[in-house]
Amino acid sequence: MNELIAIFIGMALINNIILVQFLGLCPFFGVSKKLGSAVSMGMAVTFVMSIASVTTWLINHYILIPFDIEYMYIVIFILVIATLVQIIEMFIKRTNLALYNAFGIYLPLITTNCAVLGITLIILYQEYSFLGSVVAPLGGGLGFTLVLAMMSGIRERLELANAPKAMKGLPIAFIIAVLLALAFSGFGGMI
Amino acid sequence: MPAKEALKKAFPVILLTVVVAVSVTLLTFTDRLTREKIEYQREQKIHRMLFEIFPNMSQYTLENDIYTIYSDGAKVGYAFIAIGKGYGGKIDILVGLEDETMIKGINIVSHLETPGLGARITESPFTNQFTGLDIANVALRQDGGQIDAITGATRSSRAVIEAVRTTAMEKVKLLKDSEEGE
Amino acid sequence: MGKFGKEFAKGLIISNPVLVLALGLCPTLAITTSIDNALGMTLVVLVVLVGSSTIIAAIRNFVPSIMRIPIFIVIIASLVTVMDLIFQANFPDLHVSLGIFLPLVVVNCIILARAEVFASKNPILHSIADALGITVGFMLALLMISSIRQILGTGSLSVFGFDFFTLPVLGKYPIAMFILPPGAFLIIGLLMALFRWRGVMKSE
Repeated sequence: MNELIAIFIGMALINNIILVQFLGLCPFFGVSKKLGSAVSMGMAVTFVMSIASVTTWLINHYILIPFDIEYMYIVIFILVIATLVQIIEMFIKRTNLALYNAFGIYLPLITTNCAVLGITLIILYQEYSFLGSVVAPLGGGLGFTLVLAMMSGIRERLELANAPKAMKGLPIAFIIAVLLALAFSGFGGMI
Repeated sequence: MPAKEALKKAFPVILLTVVVAVSVTLLTFTDRLTREKIEYQREQKIHRMLFEIFPNMSQYTLENDIYTIYSDGAKVGYAFIAIGKGYGGKIDILVGLEDETMIKGINIVSHLETPGLGARITESPFTNQFTGLDIANVALRQDGGQIDAITGATRSSRAVIEAVRTTAMEKVKLLKDSEEGE
Repeated sequence: MGKFGKEFAKGLIISNPVLVLALGLCPTLAITTSIDNALGMTLVVLVVLVGSSTIIAAIRNFVPSIMRIPIFIVIIASLVTVMDLIFQANFPDLHVSLGIFLPLVVVNCIILARAEVFASKNPILHSIADALGITVGFMLALLMISSIRQILGTGSLSVFGFDFFTLPVLGKYPIAMFILPPGAFLIIGLLMALFRWRGVMKSE
């Protein structure tokens, strides 16, 4: 149990998926200018990450390892994620239109979001247990959503700030990220 | 021509199948070519590291994850891999024991710690501190032991130390049990 | 040859994939803790990008548009796996220190973007030139960031075990923050601003 809590907190805060692991930076710097869309994007990513982590864990342990084809993991994992995203998108579109409108538009972007493939690889490399593969994406997703939401709030106000011309936009966003990352490194002492 | 129509519809599927088939063949082929070398690299690395800890080693045997080290036929020590949980992830540590209480030396096999900080666990000023210690005394100075942590990387240092101590205790117990059984 | 040279040159500065287009940020920030890592990552991207561009340019006329992305992904993922195995066999230490960012080259936006935007529409030779230019641009960015981070963060410069120099004061008291995540964001942010500032000067 302690182990699982450590994984959760580690993924969400200490080794934050964006600020420490550097995964999912494109949405972090790209689309995060509105708080609402940042939260929806975060939820969509968490959802896909959770399903992808469990699926790839099962595939790894019941197909790749028994058949001794572990070297195929990159191809298999990315295809599984791409397929999952397609299925989830179709499923949500047919069953729950409100949900689809909320975060369906972000789904196609998620296939190439390195946070999703990244978390499945972390689970593989760190040899997490099955429960670990359930908890890790929840923690990672929470950390992702949290930082994305913080960033969007800051950037909304940043639009009005009088930054030097060359610093406007992306460079100043990186400087904000420096401050966020410094703040998050304070969580390091938690476990 | 219905046959041609069907072929046109099936073409994307056939194409994808061909691409996947080619890819699988390529990967299987690469795996065949590299597998032996990957195994060999791993063995070489362990061998080299065992040799660094036991310079007089002439051969070693591996049983139940414990390496028994021989020098000219005489048993000179044991070694095993301890796994620590560092800042960046797993740390694999090769631990050599002189006898059932004293550490002969350690070597970091692999780790994912931050370069320049936690990664300094691999450097000799840190690893040399373990040599000659009693297993029970493996602890950081601030925890009442004799080992100095790396500046700015207490967590990585502690991860190594904890893993060495707990795994060493386990393995020594195993060794003693198996000797009693003989 | 003129076209070849042009496709090659544009990736270096004007449309530097990392510092101007802001593509492939994840590996750039994560692995620039040392120059060794930067060179290792460049080698992976070189082989995968040139390989995928060549193959995709060669088959571009047979691939129906709906199947484009899945086929590209399979091709790229296969090439990455080949590099993963080759690194494991020949450079085990580098393989460990690149960690998950070696397999993550699959979702590196630079590679998929070049496949989509360029290689699927242009002949083989131009696609190779484009891929080479982009890789060199990628390498320049990685080398700039990693050498600054390594020198400030460890106080010394060493590449694959060869020590070049150790700075007098920094060698003893390195500014560890530059090796840590905040340093990565800082250096890349400032370099981007520098590239923009040069651009601003020219356009005005």
